[in-house]
Amino acid sequence: MGKEGVNLLKLMATYDKRWGYLLLFILVLLPMIKPIGMPISVSELTKEYYEQLQTLEEGDIVLDSWSTEYSGYMELKPGMIATHKYFIKNGIKIFICLGHPEGLALVGALLEDELKGYMEAYDYTYGEDYIILGFALPNQAATLAMATDFQGSVKVDWKGDSIKGTFLDRVETGADIDMIADFTTAAGNPGLINHIVLTFGTPMIQNQIGVSLPGSYMNLDAGLITGLLASTRGGSELELLIKEPGPGLIAMDAFTLGHYLLIILIVIGNIGFFGWTKKVSEEMESTTIR
Amino acid sequence: MEQWAFLSQIFQIFIAFCLFTTLYGKGNPLRSWAEYSYLAAGTAMSVMWAWTYIRNHAVIGLQAGELIWIPAIILGLMMWFRIYPKYSYISRIPIAFTIGIGMAWTIRTQIFTQFISQISATIVPLFDQGPMWLFERTVIAVGIITMMSFFLYTMEIKGPHLWSATFGEYFMYLAFGAVFAGTFMGRLGLFVGHMQSYMFPVWKQPYTIGIALLVFVVMLALERTGWGAKLSA
Repeated sequence: MGKEGVNLLKLMATYDKRWGYLLLFILVLLPMIKPIGMPISVSELTKEYYEQLQTLEEGDIVLDSWSTEYSGYMELKPGMIATHKYFIKNGIKIFICLGHPEGLALVGALLEDELKGYMEAYDYTYGEDYIILGFALPNQAATLAMATDFQGSVKVDWKGDSIKGTFLDRVETGADIDMIADFTTAAGNPGLINHIVLTFGTPMIQNQIGVSLPGSYMNLDAGLITGLLASTRGGSELELLIKEPGPGLIAMDAFTLGHYLLIILIVIGNIGFFGWTKKVSEEMESTTIR
Repeated sequence: MEQWAFLSQIFQIFIAFCLFTTLYGKGNPLRSWAEYSYLAAGTAMSVMWAWTYIRNHAVIGLQAGELIWIPAIILGLMMWFRIYPKYSYISRIPIAFTIGIGMAWTIRTQIFTQFISQISATIVPLFDQGPMWLFERTVIAVGIITMMSFFLYTMEIKGPHLWSATFGEYFMYLAFGAVFAGTFMGRLGLFVGHMQSYMFPVWKQPYTIGIALLVFVVMLALERTGWGAKLSA
């Protein structure tokens, strides 16, 4: 019994970590094949984000910044879909600016694959309600130019067609933008805060990936951003609030099981460390000839 | 067209699982091929978007008679001398220009966003918004002070300073734990998001599971035969 116990502790300390990856694959895939439907709650953070969205009125203009690559989009997708559904449903006018070259793929992935039917249902049309400016925010210089002289720095959309005669005629400077919606990975585009929020006082909401949340919490606390949607979890909560279930709520089963797995692996790893690794290294130290 | 869309979806799933084989920890040609293909596609996309940006701003601006773009284009062209060692010093001029502008707006803005605003948000009234607010703000204030005391290296740490530094150290451990939890949540979010895009719509599920098994078997076969390491880059 004693020997078996020791072997179990050794297994806990030295098992092949690739089993963890395989288990994670299985735990993520299974609830997608057969959903469990675990309940989730809505955090105060998401409620505040939703309240910020509700301050917008029909016809308001939003700078829609996608500073994310395709992989980051996978985490932000529920929040992006839910936020854009809110914009579409409430007649908010958006101009989409990409801050990452891979954003090109998102135009098809989000607007074509996910929101096309929704936009048709609400008669949300290109030029009248939304415009894609393409890779318009590559750096702070471009953001500053757009904020101080919009008409001088932006003349065409992503396909090279003139934006004259559209709702963007109303935008001269950052002061004419009613809100910034930033969907970002890592630091995103600091120019939005530096040159629009700080100079014109434009409110800014942000959907951020989990890894970069600490920096965004600081900005939220300092009032530099007014709403924060945290990762996929925040997106699923927003889906609940706007009553539009989507990929976020579907993902929550896999999310929860993945977190359980991590907790179990941490416990196993710690038992293995204190029960085997530490003991073995102490024994080796005591038997070493000095 | 529909057939093309179907094939592109299947290819997307296949290349994704080829990349996932990196988790196995041993080199194989599937991973190398997927990785280099991704790099090539990403680079091509960056070049294409950079050119689109130049066209939409500088070219169209010039066509509209905005001569201000001429010096900008010249500075941009000078940057190309970077790849020619004999004349690479010419590229220093646009680099100096860029650094100068960057410094100017950093001093103008970052001092507010990264410094003054953050300090202002820390020094706030404690007692006017309920007990939870009091608790949160106290934790932030105590955490900042004790953690900063941990980083005072120019004096011997002893007495009350030692207690404060130790307290600050444990605050940092708590923060690291919170950051790790956030990181795991974020990475899991990425993974789940990707898996969703391979599992939905539902017709993709048999293909995804089939491709995953196929890639796994091929990877194992390559490893067992020794070809995996030989053919990987």
